[in-house]
Amino acid sequence: MKKILFLIVAVFSVSFVNAQVSGFVFDEESNVLPGVTVVIKSTNTGTVTDVDGAFTIQAKDGDILELSFIGFQKQDITVKGGKTLNVYLKQDIVNMDEVVVMGYSDKTKTEISSSVAVVDAEQLKDVTSDDLGTMIQGKVSGVQVVNSTGQPGSSSQIRIRGISTIKPGNEEPLYVVDGIIGGTFDPNDIETVTILKDAGATGMYGARANKGVIIVTTKKAKEGKPLVTFKTSVGMRMADQGHLTMMNSQDFYNTTQELYRDPETHEIDKIKFYQDFPQSLQQRDFNWIEESFKPGMVQNYHLSVSGKKNDFSYYVSGTYYDEEGTFTNTGYKKLNLRANTDYEISKRVTLRNNINIRNSYTKSYDYMDMYYTYLNLPWDNAFDSTGHARYIDSKTPDWWSRDNINPLHTIDNSDHNYNDFSLDYDLVLDVKILDWLSFTSSNRMSFSTGKSHDFVSPLAAGTFHDKGYIYENQTNWKGFVSTNLFKFNFEKGKHNINGLAGFEVNNGYFNFMSVEGKGLPEGFDVPSVASNELQIAGSNTKDYFRSFISQVNYNYNRTYFLTASYRIDATSNFPPDSRIAHFPSIAASWLMSNMDFMNNMNWWNIMKIRASYGVTGDPDIGASRYMGLFSLNTQYNGNPAAVPYQLQNYNLTWEKTNELNLGFDFGFFNRFNFTVDVYKNVTKNLIVLASQPLSQGFEYRWENAGEVANTGIEFALDAIAVQTKSFEWRVGLSFAKNKNILSGIDKPFYTTVGGVSQIYRNDAEIYTFVLPKWLGVDPETGAPIWEKINKDEQGNIISREETSNYAEATPQEVGNALPDFIGGINTTLRYKNLELFANFVYQYGNDIYNSTRRYMDHDGHEPYYNYMEPADDWVRWKKPGDQATHPSMLNAELSRENSSRFLEDGSFFRLNSVSLAYTFPQQMVKRIKLRGLKLSVNANNVFTITNFWGQDPEVNLQQADWSMPGVSDFKYPINKQIVFNLEIKL
Amino acid sequence: MKGIKIYLVVMIVALLAVQSCTKMDVFPSDQITTGSIPETADGILNVTNGNYSMFKDVLEFNGFKDDNNCYVRQYFQMSDFASNDIVCGQKTEDPLYYSFTYTHSPDQANARYFWYISYKIINGANTVIEIINGDDKFNDDVSKDLLGQNYFLRANCHFNLLRFYSKSYNDGDPNSNLGVILRESASEEGEKARATLEETYNFVISDLKIAANLMKSHSLNEYASKEAAWALLSRVYLYKEEYNLSIAYADSVINSGKFTLETAASFPSYFANSLNSNESIWSIAFTSSDNRGKFGSIASMLYSDGNSGWGEEFASDSYRELLSENMNDVRWSFIDTLYNDDGNVQTKNGIKVFYITKFSFQDGDPNLSSPSMLRYSEVYLNRGESYAHLNNETSALDDVNTIRENRGLENDLVNSVPSGKTIVDVVLEERRRELAFESSTVFDNRRNKIDLERKYWGYHIKGLTPAGVDQNNPPSGYDELVIPWNDSRGVYYIPVDEIIANPLCIQN
Repeated sequence: MKKILFLIVAVFSVSFVNAQVSGFVFDEESNVLPGVTVVIKSTNTGTVTDVDGAFTIQAKDGDILELSFIGFQKQDITVKGGKTLNVYLKQDIVNMDEVVVMGYSDKTKTEISSSVAVVDAEQLKDVTSDDLGTMIQGKVSGVQVVNSTGQPGSSSQIRIRGISTIKPGNEEPLYVVDGIIGGTFDPNDIETVTILKDAGATGMYGARANKGVIIVTTKKAKEGKPLVTFKTSVGMRMADQGHLTMMNSQDFYNTTQELYRDPETHEIDKIKFYQDFPQSLQQRDFNWIEESFKPGMVQNYHLSVSGKKNDFSYYVSGTYYDEEGTFTNTGYKKLNLRANTDYEISKRVTLRNNINIRNSYTKSYDYMDMYYTYLNLPWDNAFDSTGHARYIDSKTPDWWSRDNINPLHTIDNSDHNYNDFSLDYDLVLDVKILDWLSFTSSNRMSFSTGKSHDFVSPLAAGTFHDKGYIYENQTNWKGFVSTNLFKFNFEKGKHNINGLAGFEVNNGYFNFMSVEGKGLPEGFDVPSVASNELQIAGSNTKDYFRSFISQVNYNYNRTYFLTASYRIDATSNFPPDSRIAHFPSIAASWLMSNMDFMNNMNWWNIMKIRASYGVTGDPDIGASRYMGLFSLNTQYNGNPAAVPYQLQNYNLTWEKTNELNLGFDFGFFNRFNFTVDVYKNVTKNLIVLASQPLSQGFEYRWENAGEVANTGIEFALDAIAVQTKSFEWRVGLSFAKNKNILSGIDKPFYTTVGGVSQIYRNDAEIYTFVLPKWLGVDPETGAPIWEKINKDEQGNIISREETSNYAEATPQEVGNALPDFIGGINTTLRYKNLELFANFVYQYGNDIYNSTRRYMDHDGHEPYYNYMEPADDWVRWKKPGDQATHPSMLNAELSRENSSRFLEDGSFFRLNSVSLAYTFPQQMVKRIKLRGLKLSVNANNVFTITNFWGQDPEVNLQQADWSMPGVSDFKYPINKQIVFNLEIKL
Repeated sequence: MKGIKIYLVVMIVALLAVQSCTKMDVFPSDQITTGSIPETADGILNVTNGNYSMFKDVLEFNGFKDDNNCYVRQYFQMSDFASNDIVCGQKTEDPLYYSFTYTHSPDQANARYFWYISYKIINGANTVIEIINGDDKFNDDVSKDLLGQNYFLRANCHFNLLRFYSKSYNDGDPNSNLGVILRESASEEGEKARATLEETYNFVISDLKIAANLMKSHSLNEYASKEAAWALLSRVYLYKEEYNLSIAYADSVINSGKFTLETAASFPSYFANSLNSNESIWSIAFTSSDNRGKFGSIASMLYSDGNSGWGEEFASDSYRELLSENMNDVRWSFIDTLYNDDGNVQTKNGIKVFYITKFSFQDGDPNLSSPSMLRYSEVYLNRGESYAHLNNETSALDDVNTIRENRGLENDLVNSVPSGKTIVDVVLEERRRELAFESSTVFDNRRNKIDLERKYWGYHIKGLTPAGVDQNNPPSGYDELVIPWNDSRGVYYIPVDEIIANPLCIQN
């Protein structure tokens, strides 16, 4: 048998003799195209066109040449005879038949009737990060990405089309990896990211789609021959302190003198000042920031191999990512392994197996160490003469900072780290039962475990001195998802109808166990050695989801499209009577450009009108919120103790959003692509923690109350602005405006963190700040002034007046943490093989409460905390008649209490990334026996234009224990980063 | 072949469909539903222990656990920092600062948490009271005792609320002055008005009498007892100026024979040992695992061994002056002066550092103690003060001297009222010497119509900076060095949360 096969092959080989094939490649306007890759399909034989657009290649009749070039559609040419080929490539800016991964199903772009954005791997290359959010920032309209911290390994916050929920808890979009809810992935393995923005698209995810859906698809083999890709990135990152600079010794000395101004003469009482603060202090200048923040190295190594053989295809990869923190003793390391394999068991049965294993290690920090790094005085040196951090306690003489604490010594003698391991195993079985009917069973088993470790050595100063402290917390999570769908597809004439129906089972199990103890022998940091104050804790919870899923798609002549989906969800989070909820959605579109009458007008490529309406939900409230509960996690005198924990509410039900979207896609001149969407999303039955009278013994109860409407408009424009033979300039613009209005709330309620309040009331936006209004400084007395509002008995405002008595100042609505509009600009300049890319992001109209200024920009309230260097237009009151922004230090009682004094405009414009890349020409690469070679350098967070006088205008948007959306607190500064990348394919 | 495939598919679908029918109720693993408390053997015992635990625990409030928020920490700070026993050595972000300055506001975190946690204890107590009263199966002695303890806790919490959020009994008409909201059931409507001062006192007294009848006699300091109810009744009647009843209940405690005063030799270690002392009537038990450390212990503001605490508030000049009458007074042992290497008293922000150690050294730990809520010497002083108000000078002096004999002043007894003073002054001075830093002085002064005098350097003086402190001269020219006994700011505001959610509740 083998011999016969050999013979046949030999015969074939003889009959088709290799010949030289040559040709020229042009664009549609007959300009020659250099640099076009020409490859004989299914082989590794290939070449590249020269400056005249010419190529020559050894091929035989029947071979298929594949021509590809960035920005143009791929074209296949079958070799026939030996004549010269003239090939015209078409631009691919409007690649309408691109397949878009939609989660439960895939669709071509033509078919989609809803608002969907796709970002592919190529568009993520300008940023080296372990966080997807950071990589898509500014690249998708209507998606706000906030990097509120520069802590190694941290994730950004993503908000799609505003804020649609006000309950505490998870506010991030739903992630779907390789078609299954949840999952983990490494950014280097991403093939595409699809962002579903309206109910027409998210409706399939029904119950969980309220906050949008992000679908990540990892790579697969594209061709037969094994392809090895090696990417390496090495760079540096620096802390970006923005406008925040702490004072040096001299400036602090001069500022402190203000406390010694004589109240009568307004001159500084130098004699008393020098007594209390010797002039020699000016010689002591220790820079806490420079000593605590150092440049860190970032490295990423990625190796992948992919290929196909007969009925088997594979993609395997490994990634190692290592990020040093800029703050002392912080960092993040990660190892990720992935194997994606597809087996064709028979013509009708395929099996997919995806495995992802991830292990990460984070070295974190203690908030107080960061706090003292900023606030300790330049007169105190952290190091002794040998260069070691000094031990400081309240008995240390000649230490000037407010608290006798040396954070660098604490850091040397403590550890805060986190170890995380996760494993996802996907098994997808696809059975083609009949020609029109198939069955898919997608299953994932996930396991993740994390361990945090907090350790303070007995050598550290402070509360654990001589004792030491250890705390370890082990968490385990196990999840199971199984989606089972029947899919059908009928085509008759111009009618096409397809769809799916099935059900999904999703279980999650979580448990944790923690131990804590003191009394550690020096040099040991495990719980076993702790000798006293031992404590343990541990508990578990679970959640169940059951869903019925269905969708029908119909199109007529690929011109009229209709999609309807219906989903039923049940979750254990709600009481039995409201456990089950229904989520319908419908979407329709009309591809006008496919109409016959339009075919003559060839200046446009596409024109499409879309509309969708649907219902989505958000069940992320945690288990048992409706039950009356007593908590057992305490003790009295060593005995079990139960404490009132929760008021019951068996009426608690789903929070649901009705989403309406209208869209229009327009592509013309083969160069421009324009998309606009308008939407209105109304979330009803908002789940809130409804305030109860404290005298009931409870702060709140979980209830449904009120609704929020998000209305907005989004534009996206992609254009090829200039295009010649060797030069090209592409521009992408995005803009999104969102307005958010609350209604149906009986009694306004507030959230308060650190004394800063935000109100929730009808006709107001979410995250509206309520604070006393700051009116500046009284020129005569130097006292602070706030606004006092006088009201009559009906609550109507009669008058407004100035007051220097903080207690009289009226808290009022003074700003909002949400931006009026956001967007991004992307631009690509390409000259031959050299490409320059830049990404700008902008945000306008949000307010930030600059809470750190209460500590760093006060009026002598904390004389032993360092100040920040003032902005150019800040003026301290010194004598009567001064027009000042900052009160007299002697007349500033309560001037730094929370007020709009510290509320600032958070608008910004940022050059988010710049990347310069050179792709080596194919001829050269081939000579060194490679298939691809690319060098690039990326710079991230290059510059920011903002009036915000703090570290950074990207501030937290998560409602959490210690943080309020729009409040800038002491934080780990974000980074500036420059990274060099090398990519080799062989 | 096709048949097998279809069969396989059907099998998978069926298997998963079965799986999807799992029961979907999820019960928490560390919480018990309110309805099932009576069904478990130790349900009411656990809830009762929970009610005690809330005096010492840090519970989540406003979305997180703030170490500042602890019943006993705020109980002592909100009263003693508002008195002239303790001086403020440092301005701070911690709302305890407003107790010094009397710049109260309705959103002051300490006063809000104290209100909240008090009513949470009351809710827990009501839960037990309703379960026991509602089911005949709870008619054993243990249940009866538990019922009594919960009446006691309910009364204790209402009474302490009254001290902080209402005027003193003699400041106007108690039948029109407002007391606090009386919570008599765990399932009451949220909206409820405040009772009058008179009604609140009567409610507290009634609960305490029920409690005294139900509870067993004293055996453990960690728990309430018959005698604890009597001791609290003697305090409540003293505050209500019903002196004969105050004396009667003090007598009951004294005649029970359950308690003895610590001696001059043993008293210095009393506060480190309050759980084991015969002087304790009721203490809140802090075990070593309840150590709140630097950020949450009562001691951390008052004392530091260099690392253990903030040590920002000190014994005041005014209090030390009172103690200075006799340097043999063993109550000096609770003041720990911090010296410089040169032998001078160290200053912090210009204020001399005299640490207070009444909340330290249980198990030798600077931050650990089991604070005493009721102790024997107060009962003598309640009785003594009542005698004094009734002009029974001999009996009043007897009670004062009983204390002095055990505090190192056996050679300096008070045999007659010194000139220029009244017998009430004598008792009150002894009371202040004895009960300073124990949530007594500020109320003792108000109900005796004594103004708050703080003519010493400290950051209760508004606008004071370290540059302004002149240790050679007393402060002058500053406002509010004296605050009248009936100043309206002596009362804390009802928390803003209550006012918004309960329109029937009238603000102070």
